[in-house]
Amino acid sequence: MRAVIGGYAIRIERRADVRWWQTALASVLAILVSLFLVGIAFVRVGADPLEVYREIVNYAFLSQFGLPQTINRATYVLLAAFAIIVPLRAGLWNIGMPGQIFAGTLAAFGVAYAFGAKTASATELPGALVVPLMLVAALAAGAVYGAIAGFLRGRFQVNEIVTTMMLNWAMLWIVAHMIREGGPFMGRTAEGEGFTLPTSLRVPQAFGLPVTVYATVILALLLTWFLAKTTLGYRIRTFGESPRAAEYAGIDATRVSTLVFALGGLFAGFAGFHYFLGVPGVYKIPKNYGDLGDFSFYGLITGLIARNNPIAAIPVAILFGGVSGGARFMQGKLRLAFGIDYALLGVLMIMMVAFQALAQFSLRIERAATVAATQVERGESRVESPHH
Amino acid sequence: MTRALPESRAGRVVLEARGITKRFGSVVANDRIDLTVRAGELHAILGENGAGKTTLMRILFGELQPDEGEIYLDGQRVRFRSPRDALRHGIGMVHQERKLIPAHTALENIVLGHPRTKAILDLREAEREIEALCARYGFRIPLHAKVWQLSEGEKQIVEIVKELYHGARILILDEPTSVLSPPEIVKLLESLTKMAKEDFAVIPFITHKLPVVLEYCDRVTILRRGRVVAEMETRHATEQTLAAAMVGRDVVLQVERVEVPVGEPVVRVSDLWVRDDRGLFAVQGLSFEVRAGEILGLAGVAGNGQEPLAEALAGLRPVERGSILLDGVDITHAPVLERWRRGLGYVPTERREVGSIPSFSLVDNVLLNYHFEPEFSRWGVLATGRARELTERIIAEYSVVAAGPEALAKSLSGGNLQKVILGRVLSRHPRFLIACLPTHGLDVGAAEFVQRKLLDAKRAGTAVLLISEDLDEILALSDRIAAIYEGQFTGVVPASEATKELIGELMAGLRRERV
Repeated sequence: MRAVIGGYAIRIERRADVRWWQTALASVLAILVSLFLVGIAFVRVGADPLEVYREIVNYAFLSQFGLPQTINRATYVLLAAFAIIVPLRAGLWNIGMPGQIFAGTLAAFGVAYAFGAKTASATELPGALVVPLMLVAALAAGAVYGAIAGFLRGRFQVNEIVTTMMLNWAMLWIVAHMIREGGPFMGRTAEGEGFTLPTSLRVPQAFGLPVTVYATVILALLLTWFLAKTTLGYRIRTFGESPRAAEYAGIDATRVSTLVFALGGLFAGFAGFHYFLGVPGVYKIPKNYGDLGDFSFYGLITGLIARNNPIAAIPVAILFGGVSGGARFMQGKLRLAFGIDYALLGVLMIMMVAFQALAQFSLRIERAATVAATQVERGESRVESPHH
Repeated sequence: MTRALPESRAGRVVLEARGITKRFGSVVANDRIDLTVRAGELHAILGENGAGKTTLMRILFGELQPDEGEIYLDGQRVRFRSPRDALRHGIGMVHQERKLIPAHTALENIVLGHPRTKAILDLREAEREIEALCARYGFRIPLHAKVWQLSEGEKQIVEIVKELYHGARILILDEPTSVLSPPEIVKLLESLTKMAKEDFAVIPFITHKLPVVLEYCDRVTILRRGRVVAEMETRHATEQTLAAAMVGRDVVLQVERVEVPVGEPVVRVSDLWVRDDRGLFAVQGLSFEVRAGEILGLAGVAGNGQEPLAEALAGLRPVERGSILLDGVDITHAPVLERWRRGLGYVPTERREVGSIPSFSLVDNVLLNYHFEPEFSRWGVLATGRARELTERIIAEYSVVAAGPEALAKSLSGGNLQKVILGRVLSRHPRFLIACLPTHGLDVGAAEFVQRKLLDAKRAGTAVLLISEDLDEILALSDRIAAIYEGQFTGVVPASEATKELIGELMAGLRRERV
């Protein structure tokens, strides 16, 4: 595309490949632009944007209470991001994080329930035995629940977006059924919450954080290695780049799509395990479980912004984990209008996705006189490149 | 109704280009090119991919402006601002890719965009004129058929007629023979010759198909690396001289078939029925065998069942009925990987869609045929070092021009990419090789290389099924030739008895041998 303004021409072209620093720069610019835009809104409601942002950063990243919260939320978002990244590497969309998260969570609580955690909360249960079992149950349930959509996609070409969305609804109602008044997982106070885990069955902590946080960082490295270096990772990437070439190479479409959704579901199940069994003050399926399900969709945005790179997803997840908690705190502290925290998050997401899209293009300004030559250069390379 | 022709100008220079130079950055795509085209002649422009043909073509019909040099039409200096401007001066262009609207009829497509077309179409008058135009040059197209129903050859004719109807007197054609069957090629060139006789100048740009140039064109200008390296009358030329000028060295045009003692049958196909994507039987009861050390050439016009047959053999398309035996083992319904393990090799038609992944490195592309082998996947981890070594070996052995094994496949030219694909497949020493259009779109040098490698494979005892639309290639390489038409063999002929005419007629469905 080209536009001529005065003696100059602006040319916009799709970049052949986008480098990692261009992506990173785009994200930083997106953050700055968002802060500026939302800043206008803050001024309109009579707040000083700089003070607002200082409060958010102070709370989310510098306070003793806020920082662990940021990290725990970021871990949750990051795992949800892995749940979307793996299928997306195979060209498939997993929108089923909430369903898979709660499949894992329910399974973990189911194991605790089977060991009598609900009634015997006072007695000491063998955590060293039960917690690993709960972990395996959470991973397996998430994986199986995810695999349903993958198998249907691979075998019968059922649209995976539709399936995972529907599976979300099904699972949210199952959760509602389990924790309702009189439901098997009902909490003792019966106020629409699940029962609280006894201390022996909670995820152990290390340096003030649940160990699942450290495990997630290791998972980011492992997942990167898995996708880049293993045979299965290769097959996933091949299928994602070109299903027809994958078929030529003997890569089974049903197996790959089932595998990626099972893996995605596994990460989602782990997200549930981390948040509902590991975060201090939670240790149960809380009343606002639906909101937490929605919160996993930040994983989707994170995956897209990180361009399917598990390690690049870490800073993005920390940003969303921090801003979501910090903005809520700031809103209360400065007594600002309800929903302004969501406005900030929403603008951030839109800008980051938009800047990622824009980073695919290069923009050049040049003297209009040279335009005729450059315009044809573009056409030439399409048909016959003189370089080869 | 018919346009009055000026008195014959045959032999007069109608189009002249002098010193055309065009640079793209540091690359000189056209370097002081001179071209003289006379009325009444078919003047071919010959050159390999990247020789500067496309650039010259675009300059001649106004899509590009030259950096230096002038263009003269009937002795007048002209400067085209756009393709439309060029057409106003009587220069028409028929591209390789079609620019027609599939849902409209041929007639509507031809009329579309004509200056006389007003808000209300008077198609009847236009139809009379167009019919007269077609009759005069022997073009036969169903004017009222929708374009999507037409064959590739017919679509091309629609575009030619469209250019004529819009007033073209000089017609530039980009690779006009690339999509046609031999009889269609003959028909088209006869019509073009007839047109040329009526004072047109026809300028086909051609990469391959040297025989066509020699047989039908009057004059040829040969480009290499952006320069004119030769200009001659075709009656003074031979295929050898043309190819040597194009490539810059002596080229063996038709690699010689090698006689190898033919072994036992490797592949046995009997009564094979395969459906295409629309659910129709594209392969209808084919039976054949291919022996070790034998090349069976499958000659046919595109779309007569070759693709579904190859895909069924490779395991990419289900077999409805019949059987495929590979070394006596029934693989009719075997998964793809089992076939590869049993010694199948497959070079698909679509190099960039199926045979390779453009965004992958060459190493990862080589792995397409190796990721399932234990030596390349230890404990589920890819043996990248080994894959890299293999890729380097292929690059060296096949003289692939690439930045290295980590170069992306999309950075390679078609010929180099095909070498990588072929090298990768042949490095598995297949028992049975299916090669689909292995030299299609390749320049002379690369095509020769690929053909040699196919013969090497045959010499090594591989049974080869060569699927090609290039009859010369089939005739040169095959030991036996099967002609396919609408999913059935119209004949299977030993190479010693095959002539171009016979196979041409068989593949056009005009005659049928007992199979």
